[in-house]
Amino acid sequence: MEPLTTPPGKLVVAHPERKAQRALQRLVGATLSPVEVVADIPELLAAVDRNTIAIVDAGVAQSIPGLRDRPARAWIAVPGEGLDPAEAATVDALLAAGWSHVVAHPMPILAEELLATVQKLRRNEVFGLEKYIAWGAETRSYTLGDVRERDDAVTTLARDVVGVGLPDRVGSLVSVIADELIANALYLAPLDENRQRYRAGEARERGRALRGRDVVTVRWATDARYLAIEVRDRWGTLDPKEVSGRLANGKTGAAATEGGMGLALAYACCNQFVVDLQPDVMTEVIALLDVRYKPTELCRSASFHTFVVETPGEP
Amino acid sequence: MTAPRSRLDVQVTGARAVLVGRIDDTAQLADVATRLPAGDVALDTSGVTFVNSIGMREWVRLIRVLRDRGTVTLEAVSEVLMVQMNLLAEFGGGAVRIASFHAAYVCPACGCEASALVDAIAHAAELRELRMPPMPCPECGAAMELADFPERYLSVLGAAPRA
Repeated sequence: MEPLTTPPGKLVVAHPERKAQRALQRLVGATLSPVEVVADIPELLAAVDRNTIAIVDAGVAQSIPGLRDRPARAWIAVPGEGLDPAEAATVDALLAAGWSHVVAHPMPILAEELLATVQKLRRNEVFGLEKYIAWGAETRSYTLGDVRERDDAVTTLARDVVGVGLPDRVGSLVSVIADELIANALYLAPLDENRQRYRAGEARERGRALRGRDVVTVRWATDARYLAIEVRDRWGTLDPKEVSGRLANGKTGAAATEGGMGLALAYACCNQFVVDLQPDVMTEVIALLDVRYKPTELCRSASFHTFVVETPGEP
Repeated sequence: MTAPRSRLDVQVTGARAVLVGRIDDTAQLADVATRLPAGDVALDTSGVTFVNSIGMREWVRLIRVLRDRGTVTLEAVSEVLMVQMNLLAEFGGGAVRIASFHAAYVCPACGCEASALVDAIAHAAELRELRMPPMPCPECGAAMELADFPERYLSVLGAAPRA
């Protein structure tokens, strides 16, 4: 049997409860990476180095200001192993504090989301909704040829989603998510030579053919666990450091009259919000709606993840 | 992909406006304020099928203008508008008067989802306690539940947070 090649670095699980430690160790142990389990903050700080992916109880994460800024491959906040979701206020506080990975929902969603998150980080393979959807589910794709096709793409998507048996409520949420993400890709992603978002003020009724870097792709799939909507642009200009703060600000409505509400609105309409980025190459946003459970069985706030493709040689 | 773009149709009768269609980048809501008389007004949005962030910005501006001139009563508020108004602090704690609203219910027995128009005045007391009026499932007859967190969906009514 050939030995598996595993990326360097270890995983550290930090949780105060022994049962949660065991569950989280098994979950991330599925990656076949070395896993170190710690119970308190001094052990956590001692165990984590810049090659570590740290999986930390959300309460612990919130209790140490600046934790996510400490050197590590990634910091992931989790609610624990039980059946209770994270507190919405905790998720919101972690977003406001700039965390890049916040898992909000309990088992079994925790397991699915955490494994995909850790593997995307370990393998540095960030793009594609397929990482969240069971094998066998078909993926449908639309490529916009002109900015004026945005409405038709959104309408078609919502109609197709309802057509596979999902409720009108989900179709309505999908419309909002797709519209906001496509609008961001069309009008906010492009930068000019001075790195200004020169299309931000463009009249939305004006036609514009989409070619080359301006091409925007929308894909969706469902496996009866999740409905995933993915929107890609070829600019890669979303600032990963700003995203979580914008989502947190959206909750207060601070940006309601100044613009910039689009991402926050899309986040508010889904259960997991994922930003995948290769700087200056591609931005992909995936919004996942859990269609298994009643909304009230999940966390009131959505999970959030930002992945940035690591370029060899960069620190 | 050649379907015509939907727009917002606004019918004004006296101090009451009925909005039907999409509140999006093309919606001219400033016109609605000029067409309504000064003083108390009512807006019926049961026919609003879509609201995006730019549309929501226009909606906030419209409500601010109308609120400066009198009481604004929202009638038959559509689900899409309820969801988005509940996201904004601007509308929290009963900042606007809502006479009735649409809500999605889900059946815990069979999973059916259905929408209902809720009279917020007749049911004011129970809504304040975050209890929705009962609704039987149209498919199996079981008691349906609100398909959202009551403390989130009803916050625009000024409902008290659950202890």
